[in-house]
Amino acid sequence: VTTAAEPFVPPRTVQERSRRVFIYALLLGISALYFVPFLWSVSTSFKTLPDTAYFSLLPHHWVTTGYHDVLTKYDFKRYMLNSAFLAAVITASNVFLAGLGGYAFARLRFPGREVLFLLVLGTLMIPDQLRLVPVFITLTNWHLVSSFKGYILIKLIEATNLFFMRQYFLTIPKDFEEAAKLDGAGYFKTFWRVMLPLAGPAIAAVVILEFQGIWNDFFWPAIILGFGNPHLYTVQLGITQFIFQYGTLWPQLMAASVIAILPVAIVFVLFQRYFIAGVVASGVKG
Amino acid sequence: MATAAKTPEGSSRAGSLSNARLRESLVGYAFILLPMTVFAVWFIYPLGYAIYISFYDWGVLGKISSVGTRNYHDLFHDPLFGKALKNTLLYTAVVVPAQMTLGLIMALVVNAGIKGKTFFRAAFYFPSLASSAAITAIAIFILNADGLLNKIIGGHRPWFGDARTALWSIMGLNAWTTSGTVMLFYLAALQSIPTDVYEAAAVDGTSRSRTFWKITFPLLKPGHFFVAVVSIIGCLKIFDQAFIVSNGTGGPNYSTMTAVLYLYRTAFYQVKFGYAAAMGVLLFLIIFGFTLAQKILFGKAEVAG
Repeated sequence: VTTAAEPFVPPRTVQERSRRVFIYALLLGISALYFVPFLWSVSTSFKTLPDTAYFSLLPHHWVTTGYHDVLTKYDFKRYMLNSAFLAAVITASNVFLAGLGGYAFARLRFPGREVLFLLVLGTLMIPDQLRLVPVFITLTNWHLVSSFKGYILIKLIEATNLFFMRQYFLTIPKDFEEAAKLDGAGYFKTFWRVMLPLAGPAIAAVVILEFQGIWNDFFWPAIILGFGNPHLYTVQLGITQFIFQYGTLWPQLMAASVIAILPVAIVFVLFQRYFIAGVVASGVKG
Repeated sequence: MATAAKTPEGSSRAGSLSNARLRESLVGYAFILLPMTVFAVWFIYPLGYAIYISFYDWGVLGKISSVGTRNYHDLFHDPLFGKALKNTLLYTAVVVPAQMTLGLIMALVVNAGIKGKTFFRAAFYFPSLASSAAITAIAIFILNADGLLNKIIGGHRPWFGDARTALWSIMGLNAWTTSGTVMLFYLAALQSIPTDVYEAAAVDGTSRSRTFWKITFPLLKPGHFFVAVVSIIGCLKIFDQAFIVSNGTGGPNYSTMTAVLYLYRTAFYQVKFGYAAAMGVLLFLIIFGFTLAQKILFGKAEVAG
């Protein structure tokens, strides 16, 4: 906390040193708490099943049976493709629709704009738990349960993304649109050719957060895709079914978990600042 | 295409200006048509539909009979719902302070001028981003009777399989997972405390622990409130972990039956949609109460104060 005040602290070297020892000891403890479970599961994913009984961080024999089994025998290759497909389609539709709607709410004037925008924000107050029964019944009536279409349809756009895009469009100077208008560009062309390319950072944030959200989603896939054909399972549903059916095949289960976590981990390492900026923005703006 | 809009403002006649306005409005409606349809069909309509369904006995083939407020009446006399609600509230009462304490300690450590601040901030935040199913799988592995935790402490308890420890294990798991997010909120709040406050304290020779309890902690007050409300709302919705560790049963002995898990089971295992909808409405009212409290307490105020 007090680093900023460092130059103003009178020399208290012994105190200062013991403080630093304390801070680093705490850091070490927390790090152990946060790193060990992940290291332990990665290591287990490369062990043989008898090997998991031993209390050793490194496998005695490194094997990839766990990965091989879950990808082929337990069909995780398909689950990964399903998850990737759903995440890609839903992310693309969110970028397009949130961009379109966000642009309209930021820049175009039409009667009722403010009320409609409040309505959009209001949807954030309606929890999934309330929507569960009516959405499921509607999907059933439309024969969209146990189909990717049903899941994609309810996820086409999320209000947070629209809000995020609108906020970003508000920060772009109007000069760009006016120049486009002078060139004779229509509204859609102005949006598609001028404004959307200018919103690169906002689009990147929506892409990253939406992809992560859909890849990890458990609640709605469990309801819409979880009761029918296992061919429709996402990675997360695959893990759950694996736990229910094969409980203690630890190397396979840990391999499946690594597979489920890895894509998000890679995206996080590459685009860390978008995640952290996203959380901080949601915190600051409420 | 947009010839009307091309006319420079001011020099245009009133007619073409209002034409341009009309055009802009129509384009605006066209642009929001698809997003608003999605919100109407999957959010706003379901809100009303859920309330409607909650007044019916509703099965797999649809409406069976109108039951008035009986579903709500039954809720208050359903011991299993009582148990689920009690579990959920206990879970919330334990996890919220736990993740706030852990998150604040992590924020303070990360912010204390350590080497590799960015790395540790990212590493502690990461479990919040990883899938709940995978994280729960890892927890099941580590907490099983022959798992890592038991090897370290020398016990043989199946943590999720014992009714006395199952819910507490989920609490520990989720406090661990989500405190990284809390840390980020606190880090943002810490940035907003002006440094001259600390300079004054340093000049006065105030000790570090005194500086923390008398200055930092009270100045974080808006942050505390914000984090608490967000955490409470998140905790009331606990489902994934309870579902996964108990094979969807809420067991052993209903110890991991949470309100949302009970709602899910009522809808999909017992196919009592009307009763499940009533549960959804009640949960919505509770969560809405907290959301409203947050809006009233903070208005447009920022965490940053």
